[in-house]
Amino acid sequence: MATIRGESGSVEFETGSGTLATVVGTRSWSLSITKETLDTTVHGNTFRQFIGSMISGSGTVELVYDPDATGQAGLIEDIIKSPDTADASFELFTTGSTNGQDSVSFGGIITDMEITSTVGELVIATCNFITSSTITSNLD
Amino acid sequence: MAAADLNAIRATVEGRLATELANSPALPVVFNNMAYEPTPNSSWVQCLTAFGANEYLGHGLTTSGYNRIVGLTLINIFTPKGAGPGANLVIGKRIRDLYNRIIVSGVFFDAPNGPEATGSPSPEGYFQTQVRVAFEFIEEL
Repeated sequence: MATIRGESGSVEFETGSGTLATVVGTRSWSLSITKETLDTTVHGNTFRQFIGSMISGSGTVELVYDPDATGQAGLIEDIIKSPDTADASFELFTTGSTNGQDSVSFGGIITDMEITSTVGELVIATCNFITSSTITSNLD
Repeated sequence: MAAADLNAIRATVEGRLATELANSPALPVVFNNMAYEPTPNSSWVQCLTAFGANEYLGHGLTTSGYNRIVGLTLINIFTPKGAGPGANLVIGKRIRDLYNRIIVSGVFFDAPNGPEATGSPSPEGYFQTQVRVAFEFIEEL
């Protein structure tokens, strides 16, 4: 058994015109994947039954804002990209930064960006995204 | 990016005080682990800097990681006993102004607390107040 602490995670991102690279200064990420269901219950069934259908995901990447940190500008400014053809790529790592290992990767669109400056606290930027197309899980 | 140099941070904190108190009217200032025999009925300052809690700020272990290093500087101001607080507060203002919400070499100083009179001066024979300055440094590995 090997548990993992959150600080060993990382985020890689590219805006559609480059290659995946680590975003320096991330402090959290989350991803929620949802599968829709189709009701296949028929006459004679006693219990309702379903089959899985469309899969989609959404989540958040949170940054300790540093204007000089590699990769931050590309992530937080992707929100103002227009038109956005969902050509951005994400890879969210639970540990390490070896592509295709201990991670989830997908294409997506950043749908919200919030940057907060509060007296006595660090400036924090938060980007919310939705996935588009295939989600590849390497969490095994 | 590199691990924080604690001596560089200490030098940033103490250097400002040493420079200011070398200006007229100059005052003796003594730092951690330094011997000093104060002259009776004189004014002098003691500066004690300590590092405290650290915390993770971001992802990344030994590379690309951010940590918050928090410290506290205690500055004891000693002035002649029985002469009122005025001279002590004049020194206190000089010291407070040195650190009040400034950022120097990556060290973020909070608004200072004090000068606050202490009930039991140490060493005895002086009127003592204390200024407390919390600071933090963001370590970028």
